[in-house]
Amino acid sequence: MQEEKLSADIENIVKKWEGKKGSLIMILHDIQNLYGYVPRSTSLQLSKYMDVPLARIYEVITFYHFFKLEPPGKHLVQVCMGTACYLKGASDLLLELRNILGVNEGCTSNDGLFHLEVVRCLGCCGLAPVVKIDEKVYSKVTKDRIADILAEYEEEAVAK
Amino acid sequence: MNKLTKESLDNIAKQSRKEEKNWIKVGMSSCGIAAGADEVLKVLIEEAKKRNIQVNIKKCGCVGMCSVEPLVEVNVEGMPRVTYGRVNKDVAIQILEDHIHNHRLVNDHIYDIQVKK
Amino acid sequence: MENKIIYVRDTGLVSPDRTKDVHTLLLNGLRDRGMQASVQAVRVSDIGVYNQGVVIKVLPDVTYFNVKDEDIGRILDAIKQDKTISELASRREPKQLRVVLRNCGVIDPESIEEYIAHDGYQAIKKVLFEFKTPDKTIDEMKKSGLRGRGGAGFPTWMKWIFAKQVASDQKYVICNGDEGDPGAYMDRSVLEGDPHSVVEGMMIAGFSIGATKGYFYIRAEYPLAVERVQKAIDQCYEAGLLGNNVLGSGFNFDLEVRLGAGAFVCGEETALIASIEGRRGTPHPRPPYPSVKGLWDKPTVINNVETLANVPYIILKGGDEFAKVGTQTSKGTKVFALTGKVKNSGLVEVPMGTSIREIVFDIGGGILNNKNIKAVQSGGPSGGVIPKDYIDTPVDYENLQKLGSIMGSGGMIVMDEDDCMVDIACFYQRFCYDESCGKCSPCRIGTTQMLNTLCKITEGLGELSDLDNLRRIAQAMQRAALCGLGQTAPNPVISTLRYYEDEYKAHIIDKKCPSKKCRNLLTYKVISEKCKKCGLCLKNCEAKAITGNKDDGYIIDMNKCIRCGRCFEVCKFKAVSKE
Repeated sequence: MQEEKLSADIENIVKKWEGKKGSLIMILHDIQNLYGYVPRSTSLQLSKYMDVPLARIYEVITFYHFFKLEPPGKHLVQVCMGTACYLKGASDLLLELRNILGVNEGCTSNDGLFHLEVVRCLGCCGLAPVVKIDEKVYSKVTKDRIADILAEYEEEAVAK
Repeated sequence: MNKLTKESLDNIAKQSRKEEKNWIKVGMSSCGIAAGADEVLKVLIEEAKKRNIQVNIKKCGCVGMCSVEPLVEVNVEGMPRVTYGRVNKDVAIQILEDHIHNHRLVNDHIYDIQVKK
Repeated sequence: MENKIIYVRDTGLVSPDRTKDVHTLLLNGLRDRGMQASVQAVRVSDIGVYNQGVVIKVLPDVTYFNVKDEDIGRILDAIKQDKTISELASRREPKQLRVVLRNCGVIDPESIEEYIAHDGYQAIKKVLFEFKTPDKTIDEMKKSGLRGRGGAGFPTWMKWIFAKQVASDQKYVICNGDEGDPGAYMDRSVLEGDPHSVVEGMMIAGFSIGATKGYFYIRAEYPLAVERVQKAIDQCYEAGLLGNNVLGSGFNFDLEVRLGAGAFVCGEETALIASIEGRRGTPHPRPPYPSVKGLWDKPTVINNVETLANVPYIILKGGDEFAKVGTQTSKGTKVFALTGKVKNSGLVEVPMGTSIREIVFDIGGGILNNKNIKAVQSGGPSGGVIPKDYIDTPVDYENLQKLGSIMGSGGMIVMDEDDCMVDIACFYQRFCYDESCGKCSPCRIGTTQMLNTLCKITEGLGELSDLDNLRRIAQAMQRAALCGLGQTAPNPVISTLRYYEDEYKAHIIDKKCPSKKCRNLLTYKVISEKCKKCGLCLKNCEAKAITGNKDDGYIIDMNKCIRCGRCFEVCKFKAVSKE
């Protein structure tokens, strides 16, 4: 059996953590930072390279909400469902997003543009309710604003 | 920075303690940035340069008044220290022109929170 | 007369806001007296007091509450003569005291020099060169009475001494920055605003227990906090504050950052350890406690961010000085993330023993939109609600526990009359259900059953026997669940049942939600007397549940209605009722 060669990226990541105990989660973070999710092929390579069973890697990936097994949409839409946001109507925002995007949370819209996600508290409770798209946080969002906010990204996609 | 010893630690403390007279601090925690603090910081630096206003513009953590971010604290020699909230581009320019330059405080944006000294 | 500044603000609840009018009166008054060049009158957005009518503050420290227009002349005359009108002036001690947040918003968190300029790393210096022994350090911690700020309130010095007493070749210190409580962000603010003080706290903890290695465990959802802590660590290595031979003392200490990955249960000590070890974050039974057998089976002390940020202050100012603030059993200050339906949502730090009323009304400025307070929730998914009748209770660990809540990590969520307690219980239960790791059945099955029951009630399908069932499951979970998450998950349900059983019963018997929050229990109706027959409701009804025309008026068919509330919102004549 021929040893599969790790792509240079993965090799760098694993090297970075070499000799450090318990680094699997940190390696997975680095992989997800790179690809946006943890591809199955990488997990397979990782399993061989680190000499841990694939099941060990998958049990970790699937335990933590943060790791994704599927490529996310182009833009990550996160609705904060912390208590402060919830009290100020975050569930209405989620309903509106579901309606407009036509998908439930955890899914990517059909055009592949948006990945809808619910998160537990982004720590911006003073600005509640908040919706985060990629790195940008929209504060004190109302239901009526959702369509306009999404449109910014749609237009940008069309322009390209 | 060179490796510190217990003596050089004190020296740095003494040196850095000489506070500058005129400064602006922009609250740059995640909530501040979410509310637009990085834009405010940029505007302050650019506009101060344009107007040749001598002031040290720095960033700092969260003062705590998250609902009125972005927050900007201003210290001008001979005037009380003031915290401005809900600062946008226009207010930032007003702070430079009115407060720093003309020593007149800006209306409707001061948040005077009370903390025990 | 030197240059003076006066602040003005209408803090009353009655609209319209008269700040501008009074400001104009002040400006006119100043002009009449020829004082406009030497006195600035400034409209401010917050003057530090609330609900005291028009407030005028003459800087630095004279404040007039409830100023009548006719008093303004007198006040200006007094300013001119550099006097104070003592019968009008009021003094109010500030409620906030900053110990943990001492540097937040003061220093540049990315500059080690600024931290050093604010007494930074003086505490570790004192420990290494003055105290020289762990015992003396722990002694100081004991005097301070500091208790863990993560929630349970275990004395910090005891944790340290347990770990110190165990002989081992290697020990660890962990900073728990896995702030998973939804609606709380004290730790994020400290890590982002003053990372060095937490680093210093960890060094002191390490020295005290004999550890040479520490881990920061921080939520991945806090990228900025991670970045700033990493920067602080790098700066410390460069400056010789971390690594071998700290400050030339012979003490070695290393620090590393590990990221959480979105699992609330990892706030639990044993689960957190599993996560740092790179495994699934499931807890295991205690004992053995981490202080005996923790990370990689070595003695480990786990302290919360806020706890650690207190440590340098205690060492520097002395445990006795720290203990001057607070109540009999709870010393020092506590940081709260005050959120929800409160005007000034944000971080507040108050001495232990401050009442909830002071926090919500004197610091928080009262309730949004001038509604009435209903309750305050503390402790997040592990805590409970404190009804408005109890808001004068001084906040400390014991008092909150007596009320059926907990201090928790410091989330304080204010609820008004529009918030439904069954809905809140359901919200927290859903959270615990999602976050239950599934290892033990009381928690896995308990949260599922409780959630199903609560959902049923909010949908109007509840039965009276459900309430007994909820109580029974809650008791089983409290006694039998493996870790803190499962044991405390029923708390929001128990506490809402304790104080708001009526509300549960209204959902079950009358099939009504008194706060008009639970969608399925709402009925929308067109009030024909108020209806102007404009047809806006019909146009906006996506479910096509509204029929009628401009002559006969409109009717809502509740069988078709999806209760989106659109008609209620768009009606300009308030002719749609929601009940």
